[in-house]
Amino acid sequence: MNDEKVVEIKNLIKSYGAKDFQTTVLKGIDLTIYKEDFIAIMGPSGSGKTTLLNILSTIDKPTQGTVLLDGKNVTRMSNKELAKLRKDKIGFVFQDYNLLDTMTLQDNIALPLALGGVPSGQIAERIQALSAAFGIEEQLRKYPYQLSGGQKQRGAVCRALITNPEIIFADEPTGALDSKAGKDLLHCLRRVNDSGQATILMVTHDPHCASYAKDVYLLSDGMMKCRIGRGSDRKEFYNRIVDLQTSIGGDFS
Amino acid sequence: MSMLRLSFINFRNGFKSYLSLVLSLSFSILILFNFQNMIYSETFAVLGQRNKQYIDMLIQTVSIVLLCFLFFFVWYATNVFLTRRKREIGIYIFMGMSNRKIGSLYMIEISFVGITALAAGIGFGALFAGLFQMVMGAVADTEIEVRFGISIKPVVLTVVFFLAVYVIFVLKGYWNIVRSSVLSMISAARQNEYVQTKSAVLFIKAAAGILVLAVGYFLANKGSRSDLLGNALLAVVLVMIGVYLLFGGLIPLFFQMLAGQKSFLYRRQRCLWVNQTIFRMRKNYRTYAMVCIIGICSATALATGFAMRERYHNMMVFDNQYTFQFLTNQQGLGAQAAALIQGETEIACQTSLTALSVDAEHLVLSYSEVKRAAQESGGVAGLRAPADDETYYLSHQILMSLIAGSERIPVRLGDMVFQETEVIREPYIGYMQEAMGCFYVVSDTAYEELRQGSEMLYIYNYKIADNTAFERARAAADVLISNTDENFTARVAVNPFDKELEWVKVLCALCIFMFLVFIVAGGCIMFMKLYNDSYEEKERYLVLKKIGLSPQTLSRSIAHELSGAYMLPFAVLAVSAYFSVNALGKMMQTDLFSVYLVSMLVVLLVFVLCYGCSVVMYRKNVGV
Repeated sequence: MNDEKVVEIKNLIKSYGAKDFQTTVLKGIDLTIYKEDFIAIMGPSGSGKTTLLNILSTIDKPTQGTVLLDGKNVTRMSNKELAKLRKDKIGFVFQDYNLLDTMTLQDNIALPLALGGVPSGQIAERIQALSAAFGIEEQLRKYPYQLSGGQKQRGAVCRALITNPEIIFADEPTGALDSKAGKDLLHCLRRVNDSGQATILMVTHDPHCASYAKDVYLLSDGMMKCRIGRGSDRKEFYNRIVDLQTSIGGDFS
Repeated sequence: MSMLRLSFINFRNGFKSYLSLVLSLSFSILILFNFQNMIYSETFAVLGQRNKQYIDMLIQTVSIVLLCFLFFFVWYATNVFLTRRKREIGIYIFMGMSNRKIGSLYMIEISFVGITALAAGIGFGALFAGLFQMVMGAVADTEIEVRFGISIKPVVLTVVFFLAVYVIFVLKGYWNIVRSSVLSMISAARQNEYVQTKSAVLFIKAAAGILVLAVGYFLANKGSRSDLLGNALLAVVLVMIGVYLLFGGLIPLFFQMLAGQKSFLYRRQRCLWVNQTIFRMRKNYRTYAMVCIIGICSATALATGFAMRERYHNMMVFDNQYTFQFLTNQQGLGAQAAALIQGETEIACQTSLTALSVDAEHLVLSYSEVKRAAQESGGVAGLRAPADDETYYLSHQILMSLIAGSERIPVRLGDMVFQETEVIREPYIGYMQEAMGCFYVVSDTAYEELRQGSEMLYIYNYKIADNTAFERARAAADVLISNTDENFTARVAVNPFDKELEWVKVLCALCIFMFLVFIVAGGCIMFMKLYNDSYEEKERYLVLKKIGLSPQTLSRSIAHELSGAYMLPFAVLAVSAYFSVNALGKMMQTDLFSVYLVSMLVVLLVFVLCYGCSVVMYRKNVGV
């Protein structure tokens, strides 16, 4: 295991509402993500998964606590610094792909680097390598409306990976895919993680999806309840996750 | 909740999105109302009955042009808003409303827009009626009588004219909704498929566009005035078709080629705005073409106004070359006439010529005498000496003629036949040249030959120094007029305060107004389109923000994209207007290049203002 810290969360608290009517969604989360980690965060509805992901992705701010990303406290950064951080250090994968329908898949993947001023030759090489790894070389010249859901999501992962971010935040990446396309995508994610190309934090409600991660954290009632590691067998890991879900209870859909 | 109340709530809540439509409609109504008001408030009555008749006729013609424009504008605007409202009001389908009810809802809602625009247009029109008349008088540089009172007739006429146009499109919108399928209503805004058009199709369109436009430009500028007059209509139609094909073919093809050049595309925000322009061009090319054509029309309207004004100026200079002119068979009458006039005022300039009455219809002047008189009066110079078999006809300035002059026609002067090689429209013998219309200039040799057997007539011309003494000087000089066998003396007097042609100045002012109305409307159309687009772009910009694009990057991309939206129509209209104004200049026989430059500067200014507003509005609507 690599001991280089990518994200360090300390005593993270997030409350909503006015002074006397506050609801605390996250109640003191501590979590450290190391380089080349592949973490899945699971939890029933209302457990605070999305809030946690929003804070980590710098879209939302915590009420209390610190989030260190690449050693810098993101909670104290200006909007301009946050935008730069999101562009350079973080890759995002969304449930609904969020590809721009006005440009080809190739241009969608190239966009972050093009905006970063990387020479077009280097962009083309990087797209070539990533699209080959994700099996979408043939689809590069197509528009999102001409692609299947799986192809779109693999394109979205390529876009997230193209800047070599410190970490990828994936929000229910297989949520809109059929089981075959979901499986293909997870294999790809696992491959890039195994090859040391990406550190991944994934939020999911699907135990099958979570079983592709190296570690699964269970979030319940705003707190990290437990962590389980994959071990060597994915199927056995899957069974353990399901058991844990059952023991915690709640609505995981 | 009643339909009326529901519609009103919708209208009130969506007022911001209707604001640009309400404002542009009110502006058009304001102009229309003020035009009508000027007719019925007798603003121009002070210029005399004939001028007023002409001006009223002009205002009615301009009002008809404005109404035609309003027709297309309302057609376009209601279509744009119908598409947007369709998906919003389509939700009522899930509440169990029938298409007819939804149609009625739309109809009532859009009627609120019309009524608000009508009330604002007439209200502000009435409020600023006096100012409008003053501005009109100042722009026309003519005397007017400003009336602040509003009579009921222009109000009624404006309401009737506007409603006649508006009701058609309210009913059209209703009918469109009634006939729409549920699916089309809900997915009205989600038709983002087929971002690109096949290059082959674009290439054919582009090639056809260039060809048609080139032929249009060629026809508008080739050959003589007679050719231009014959080709004008065809040139206009070809340029209009060409502009549509250009925006539907060449420009998207160019941007698609840019998008293919990754070394170009992957620099700064180009990847965003180039792709965005391709997408928008497919949806908006008709709008761009329409704005472009409106711009060409407006520049041409302005040029027409200025050409008319220059022609008016030339006519005034022509007519006022001399104040008094005498044609007589009495040699030496000149000194007597000068003495009589000088009894009332100083003479600024005087000249004399001899003319040969070769027959009952023609008076012949010698080249050297005409040239001498021109030099003495400080008038036009540079008249080329005619050959011995050539003659020049001294004609007069005309405001506008659709008849092109033919060249080299034979003219019999006395016993000799000459070739009429030129029609001179510059003043050599002042208003007499226009009033009599029978003067021919021949070479000195030919003049000497014609002298035998022709009666000699004498022309004495005077321009007075003090115009206020005109009436007194005329009364004094009139004693010389006689018509007996031995003594024939005719007099021509030109009143320096004559207002006969004042209506031409008003025509110029009307053309300037039309130019402004058209160009502001063009800017409004672009603004409305982009306003509408910004709502469709909301989701796309949300995605861009999610993937970490900074507001600065997005702002720059928006600025680039929107500058293209304004600058592309401007570039095409600037080129096309150059040819149309040039063609008009040729037809009107005047140089309108400076007018063209001014009009383009004003168009650019309006577009830059609209662009600035669009960028602010767009950024606000997409949340950047």
